[in-house]
Amino acid sequence: MSRDYFNTQSLGVPLNRMVKEARILMVGAGGIGCELLKNLVLAGFGEVHIVDLDTIDLSNLNRQFLFRHEHIKKSKALVAKDAAHKFNPRVKLEAHHANIKDPQFNVDWFKGFTIVFNALDNLDARRHVNKMCIAADIPLIESGTTGFNGQVQVIKKGVAACYDCTPKETPKTFPVCTIRSTPSQPIHCIVWGKSYLLSEIFGASEDDSPEMDHSEDSENAQEIEKLRQEAQALKNIREAMGTDSFPQLLFDKVYKDDVVRLRSMEEMWKTRRRPEPLDYATVIEKASDAEARKDKILKDGQRVWSLEENVVVFRDSLSRLSRRMAEMKSSGEVSAEPVITFDKDDEDTLDFVTAGANLRSIVFGIETKSRFDIKQMAGNIIPAIATTNAIVAGLCVLQSYKVLRGQFGSTKEVFLSPFASERLLASDRLRAPNPDCPVCSPAQTRVLIDMSRATLGDLVDDFLKMELGYGEEIVVNHGDNLLYDLDETENLAKKLSELGIKGDSFLTIIDDNDDDPKGPRVNLILNVQES
Amino acid sequence: MTEIITDPTLPILHGPSDKEKKYDRQLRLWAASGQKALEDAHILLLNSGSGTVGVETLKNLVLPGIGQFTIADANIVNESDLGVNFFLDEDSLGNSRAECCVKLLQELNPDVKGHWLPLQETHTVQNLLENDRKYTLIMYTYPIEPQDLALVQEYGNKHKVPIIAIHSAGFYSYFRTHLPGNFPIVDTHPDSTATTDLRLLTPWEELSKFANEFTSDIDNLSAHEHGHIPYLVILLHYLEKWKAEHGTLPSTYKEKTAFRATVSAGARTNNPEGGEENFDEAAAAVLKTISAPTLASSVKAVFDYKPNEFEAKSSFWIIASAVKKFYEKNKQLPLPGSVPDMKAQSTVYVRLQNIYKKKARQDVAEVLAAVRALPGGKDIDEGEVETFCKNAAFIKLIHGSEASPDNITTIAEAEAANDETAAMVGMPLSLFPIYLSLKATSHVPTACTSDILAAIDKTIPGASSNPRLAQVAEEVTRAKGGELHNISALTGGMVAQEVIKIITKQYIPIDNTCIFDGITSRTQVLRI
Repeated sequence: MSRDYFNTQSLGVPLNRMVKEARILMVGAGGIGCELLKNLVLAGFGEVHIVDLDTIDLSNLNRQFLFRHEHIKKSKALVAKDAAHKFNPRVKLEAHHANIKDPQFNVDWFKGFTIVFNALDNLDARRHVNKMCIAADIPLIESGTTGFNGQVQVIKKGVAACYDCTPKETPKTFPVCTIRSTPSQPIHCIVWGKSYLLSEIFGASEDDSPEMDHSEDSENAQEIEKLRQEAQALKNIREAMGTDSFPQLLFDKVYKDDVVRLRSMEEMWKTRRRPEPLDYATVIEKASDAEARKDKILKDGQRVWSLEENVVVFRDSLSRLSRRMAEMKSSGEVSAEPVITFDKDDEDTLDFVTAGANLRSIVFGIETKSRFDIKQMAGNIIPAIATTNAIVAGLCVLQSYKVLRGQFGSTKEVFLSPFASERLLASDRLRAPNPDCPVCSPAQTRVLIDMSRATLGDLVDDFLKMELGYGEEIVVNHGDNLLYDLDETENLAKKLSELGIKGDSFLTIIDDNDDDPKGPRVNLILNVQES
Repeated sequence: MTEIITDPTLPILHGPSDKEKKYDRQLRLWAASGQKALEDAHILLLNSGSGTVGVETLKNLVLPGIGQFTIADANIVNESDLGVNFFLDEDSLGNSRAECCVKLLQELNPDVKGHWLPLQETHTVQNLLENDRKYTLIMYTYPIEPQDLALVQEYGNKHKVPIIAIHSAGFYSYFRTHLPGNFPIVDTHPDSTATTDLRLLTPWEELSKFANEFTSDIDNLSAHEHGHIPYLVILLHYLEKWKAEHGTLPSTYKEKTAFRATVSAGARTNNPEGGEENFDEAAAAVLKTISAPTLASSVKAVFDYKPNEFEAKSSFWIIASAVKKFYEKNKQLPLPGSVPDMKAQSTVYVRLQNIYKKKARQDVAEVLAAVRALPGGKDIDEGEVETFCKNAAFIKLIHGSEASPDNITTIAEAEAANDETAAMVGMPLSLFPIYLSLKATSHVPTACTSDILAAIDKTIPGASSNPRLAQVAEEVTRAKGGELHNISALTGGMVAQEVIKIITKQYIPIDNTCIFDGITSRTQVLRI
């Protein structure tokens, strides 16, 4: 009996041939990706491209079975390719250790595939691949898991709803003042520890943090200005890094001096409990007992630490991070100032954020948390297990058989329902595209332009008006940026390259002409390619 | 089940932190107690046929760190195995399939110990089950020799070991769990929206006193104080007022809606927001929290059950009996002790939490005293009693498979009747024909359609006249007992999930057969 005896038997010869001739793109080689790649290779898919930016971490090994301990820190895409190749040498595999948003993966490149599988873990990349597949008109099989839950969805332009046809929940953000001046919940202190304390001392500035919401800044202009000065003063303390006085300087700055300043703002505490400053010398004096148990404390991440224990961890993790910083600087491999950013699986940063956040909670009379809990809250950890990924990846391949046959009508949107033990899976019929979807409902077209010579005016006059027949009342957007409308004409003389438009940019053209008896045209998404 | 993750005073994991890190993403689902149960388990797989679904199941158990596993398999690896089984490579050709699979599976996780046994004349299933090794759970895949099946069932009954049968062929699969005797679960992980008892209708003294602090002079509180009264306190205040006016607590739906209106009217509206969030929270919680806690039918089933002599010695039934006494005396279950999130000043909220925790601890102490007084209750771990009390409202008893499962003809009739109405309204049809057709090939995977239908007719007379059954049987014939990798991988995911539920005694396992149809991507669970 030959290798694909069972496949031919069950799939039938025509489908089995389609499988062998298919070119597959798999984006993401993590939990679902490992399962999916194994399934694709054994199903005999002819060619599979794997794209993943990530490297392998210890916490992946409980489910990402193509990886071993010795692969930690290596590229997921490359290791997955090598591991899977052994099991079916006849499948052509190609791995890209790269970001799927890189310009090399343009619409033309997407057009070269029969089916795209999303095996991703974040909203941003999912939306990007969704957009590219709509533009390239290639079917996309989208999947995801959290803990025991999971789902699979088939996406096809004009036929099946796309990823953005239903609005998605965006990550939670907090107003700056809540984080910096008036925390009331553990999460506020954790965000402070991660996005302010750690970033100001070891990384870039908090302003880059996606968790900070600046929309209310103008209402609190005075306080915001004070906070800016405070952050500047904190930056200056960085200079003392590595010296013996550094822990005390830092501690007294953020848990004493800044708190004393905050306390003095009478307005703020009319309706809130006033924070109580902590003094380094006083606390450390009482912490000798905890200091002696330091190693034990550090191993005990499930228990909530006391004030003294937190101070000990604060000092210890600070010195670990300072040492790393010094090593990075002296190695001289990077020319820019080295940075250490928060990573939930990087123990030093996690210890520092845990102690830093808990000390702040103590100052503000907020409940403190264990490192185990803080890891989940700070790292946005989603529980992940092998079984759910196995089920979801198996369902993905089943959908792909229908997609190969062009039977979109019989594809299903499947949800795992682990807590309804009377059925385990729930499947829905394919959903039609949402006619108001900002991604898949507009018309799509593409244009080849020499970006270094053509101006926005050329595009508007020669292409949109002359070739496509648009009238005067149009709006041209590039992402959230307004490039052109009747009142916004100063960009017209600029070259497209000067406006930040590169190969494979997407512009949205909105027709505002309400006088047309047929009404304004539908929105157009214009894919601009370098000629 | 001796430790609970939420109690911050208990240090749980002392092991090397690398292990904690490796299993981090799953510890958040089944905690250290579940992990320990997995690591203590030894699973046996009797493998056969094209041999993939069982190995895929094991993969999903080796990864999360099951203690040990054994594969027993008579087959020698051939070319067609390589096309469907990921845990075999070119070098495996001509060797024992059990040995090769164990070798590659073990590479997945060095913490797991794998054993193998080539089933031959000298090594039979009988030898295997007669040796000293004790298995926590046995899985077997179809096709299986009838005499081997009988041996496995006998072993399961004798040693009270759960058994899972798995059958995957072409686009179809099913698995059936067989639990020995009755299977109680303490940690069912109820939905996060499930109501927790807050005892608002029967507040204890300390809680009433606490509430009074905030509400004795409610009309003269400052705007901030009034806007930050925890909603539980608001409800307690208005319940007391209601009782004073009506003589009784609101109990009917009509009374409760009237009560809700009273609560809403208590909010101050002369502020920029035109209302108060804490009062909104209070009004929203009325229907859910203002009702006398009734005993869930699953808990009642536990209280009503008479454990046999063997069962009665287990810690579950001793604690259950103590909790029942507690319930009979206090007319309520032990307080879980958790408090929902609410708008409040953080110091006030922490005090409220402590009041509930303290009361919960008192209830645990009362149950513990009752446990200690029962025969066999001396050595029961306090943590186990605590976990039981915390989950008391959601405990569940799954009846073992031998406890009068529905007769196969009864199921066939019910499913056929359902299909008649389902067909009219365009609802999906029963997957029972898949079970019947696969079942008919339990021992002979290459049976032809007419053989399959004849076999089914023997147990369910006239069944083969159903054209859908004939169609499904045709599909099973076409697969010739061969597995499709992705169907087996998916089935292996579902089976492993059930194994984890059974071994950790957490979450509710299915009862007892799950049928999967890869053509429509659907499952159906039936008690067979």
